[in-house]
Amino acid sequence: MVKNKREMLAGYVDGELSEAERQTFEAALAQDPDLRAELEEFKRLQEVTGMVQYADLPDEVWENYWQSMYRKTERGIGWILLSIGAIILLCFGLYETMGRLFADPEAPLWLKIGLSVGGVGLIILLVSYIRERLFAYNRDRYKEVMK
Amino acid sequence: MYSEGNDKTMVTDMALVVDIRNGDKKALATLIERHKKTAFRIALGLVGNKDDAYDISQEAFLRVYRSAATYDEKQPFQPWFYTIIANLSRTWLRRRSLRDNRMVELDDVSWLLVDDRTPEAAVIKEETVSDLRQALKELSFEDREIIMLQHFRGMSYEEIAHLLSIPKGTVMSRLYYARKKLAGLMRLKNGEK
Repeated sequence: MVKNKREMLAGYVDGELSEAERQTFEAALAQDPDLRAELEEFKRLQEVTGMVQYADLPDEVWENYWQSMYRKTERGIGWILLSIGAIILLCFGLYETMGRLFADPEAPLWLKIGLSVGGVGLIILLVSYIRERLFAYNRDRYKEVMK
Repeated sequence: MYSEGNDKTMVTDMALVVDIRNGDKKALATLIERHKKTAFRIALGLVGNKDDAYDISQEAFLRVYRSAATYDEKQPFQPWFYTIIANLSRTWLRRRSLRDNRMVELDDVSWLLVDDRTPEAAVIKEETVSDLRQALKELSFEDREIIMLQHFRGMSYEEIAHLLSIPKGTVMSRLYYARKKLAGLMRLKNGEK
């Protein structure tokens, strides 16, 4: 019961208790100096938070809010397309290079091995990253809201 | 909620989301115009950085746009929208701070300012505000959330309960413990000096 009365302290300070609750709490307050001390502390906290406010942004920022969003969306789409294009070109370039390299009997062996190992490493990294993203997505409790 | 909790506005917000679902970009612009500052302030209270709060608020509207198809128009808009903002804020904090969703140590101290409109502002020391900023940063996400909604958004327990989909008694309980922690942290800050 003491715990409940202590929790009621928040409601008392905020004027959120019913008349019956308020009377019960005030009766407890009269008997408990620690509770009175907590009350003063909460009141002080309210005073301090009542004197501050969140910073705001300049009007011109708000006026450009929609345009700013639109530009971000455009850029997001642009980056995605650029990334896809870059990946396609990279893969094609890699495929062509490695194909010619392996077909060339005079190409040094260390170069062939180095490129092969590097290529395999890149694939492993890509697969690992995709797996991690899928893992996080499947466990995202809020994906119905956040999709 | 957000000072727009009357039925007429709630219906209108819900209707806007339905219009957004039907591809109406003007409806999205209207919704943004109506809630952009609120979204920013909520995100600011949760992450403590103006630039990121701005980005989070914009991302929240993009999520609304993308999620409009799954929005149940029988449900009120504000709790749904708030959940989007809170989740984006959590994700941001998780990526940056990695531990208990506490705020990272950021150089931006200007997110919480003395309110010059109040007569008491003349006597409050900047040191006290600084202590408050630091203490808020060290609270867990849930504690900071409830403090933000009640102290800085001025919401009633009923409004908070509705927004967070929790009982009113839980609001009171969470506020009690959050305030205890905040007061304790501020006492600690004062004691350190």
